Amino acid sequence: MPDDHARPLADVMAPITRARGLPNAHYTDPATIARENRAVLETTWAALAVGADVPEPGDAKPISFLGQPLLLLRDDHGALRVFFNICRHRGMILVEAPRKIDGAIRCPYHSWCYAKDGRLVATPHVGGPGQNACDGIDRATLGLAEVRTHVWRDVVFINLSGDAAPFEEVHADLLTRWAEFDKPFYHGGEESRFTLEVATNWKLAVENYCESYHLPWVHPGLNSYSRLEDHYHIEQPGKFSGQGTYVYRQLQGGDGLTFPDFDGLSEHWNTGAEYVALYPNLLLGVHRDHAYAIILESVAHDRTVEHVHIYYPTPDTDEALRTKNATLWENVFIEDIFVVEGMQRGRAASGFDGGRFSPAMDGPTHMFHAWVASRIEAVET
Amino acid sequence: MDRRALDDALLAAHQAGNRAALIALYAQAADDGGPGAAFYLTHAYVFALEAGDSRAPALRQALVRMKAEVAE
Repeated sequence: MPDDHARPLADVMAPITRARGLPNAHYTDPATIARENRAVLETTWAALAVGADVPEPGDAKPISFLGQPLLLLRDDHGALRVFFNICRHRGMILVEAPRKIDGAIRCPYHSWCYAKDGRLVATPHVGGPGQNACDGIDRATLGLAEVRTHVWRDVVFINLSGDAAPFEEVHADLLTRWAEFDKPFYHGGEESRFTLEVATNWKLAVENYCESYHLPWVHPGLNSYSRLEDHYHIEQPGKFSGQGTYVYRQLQGGDGLTFPDFDGLSEHWNTGAEYVALYPNLLLGVHRDHAYAIILESVAHDRTVEHVHIYYPTPDTDEALRTKNATLWENVFIEDIFVVEGMQRGRAASGFDGGRFSPAMDGPTHMFHAWVASRIEAVET
Repeated sequence: MDRRALDDALLAAHQAGNRAALIALYAQAADDGGPGAAFYLTHAYVFALEAGDSRAPALRQALVRMKAEVAE
C-alpha cells in the first residue's frame, strides 16, 4: 500500500478514543473505492439477493454486482445457484430480465444452450453448418461460470473471489448468537418487500444502522417507549456490529391481533430485539414475531439501493398486519435517508478528517470502519 | 406447404417468438432431407431444448443418427 494511504488507515484502526473515521476518498473517489471493493465486497461473503427473488424452479433473475453481470437461477430440483450471466462462447449477456427458464437458456447470439444447472448442452453449428460438435469444444468444461454461493436465512451470499473461508466459519459467531432463530421462516410476499434508492455510499448506511446514538434525534417516535438507555451495543470485531433493545413491543392490528412468535424462543426475546450489520453489506433485524434483511446494493460510489425483505414465523400471517408492519419499517428507514445522504455530501469537504467517534456511543460504527481498514490492509499488503 | 410458404412461416414464427411453431416448422424443413436437413433439424432441436418441449430428446437422437450431434 502506498505510504500516503497508510497513516489514515492506521488511524482508523486505532483504539476508539484516538481513532478517526475512514478518509473522504473512501466515499468520493472511484479509484480508492475500486480498491476498497476488492478488499471488502469481492473477497468476503457479500449479500446479493434473497431466495424469494426466484421462488420457483426455473426462475432466473439477472443481477449486477459491482458492475459485473450475474444470474441468480433456481434449477428444477430447487437448488439455487449464481452464475456469471454470460455465454462461454463470446461473452454475450444471456438473460436480460427476470423470467422463467422453460427448458434451457439459449444464448441469443449463436444459440449455445445451457441447462438450468449451468451445463453446456448444445453448441449448434459449432463444427460447421449442421455439425453441432467439434474437436476443441469440450462442453464438459464450458458450463456457465459459477460464483461461490451460500444461502442463510434466505439471503444469498456470494464470494466473488472464491477464496474466502466457508460462510459457516466466517460467521459462526452470529449463527451461534441467533441459533434460537434457526428455524423456518417465510417471506411475507410482495407487500413485505420494498426498495429505497439513496444518494449515499453503501458504507454510510451500515454506519448509521450500527448505532443507537442517533435514535432519539432521527427517530423521535421511539422516545415514548424506547429510550436510549434501553439499548445496548452488539460488537463482534471483524464480523458484525449493531445494537439491541430491551423494550421491543409487538405490533398490533386494530383488533389486538399480533403476529405469531417463532417457536421455542427464550424469555429474553419477549421484549428483546436485535439489529445487526453483518459485514460487509447486510443489515438484519430479529424480533419474536418477525425478522428482516436489508441488502445494500452498491450502485455507484454515491448511490445505494436498499432492498428490504420482511419474514414471518408462519406462511399464513395476516395480510393487513403485514402491510402495516412493512409501512412502519419503511417509514423508519426513510427517516434515516437525510442523514446518510447528508454525510455523503459532507464528504466533499476537504476539511473533514474522517471524524471522531464517541467512545461511549459509536463503538459499533468504529468497529465497522476498523474492519474496512483492516480488510484493505490485509488484501493490499 | 411449399418451400416459399415454409420460409414465410418460419420468418413469421421468428418475428413472433413462437417457439412451438419454430420447432414444428424447422422439423418440417428437415423432413425434406438433402444436405440442409441437419441444419434445420439442429434449429428444431435448439428451440425444443429452450422450450423444454417433449420432442427435444427425439430430435437430439435424430441428430445423433445423422452424425450431427454426439451421443450422450
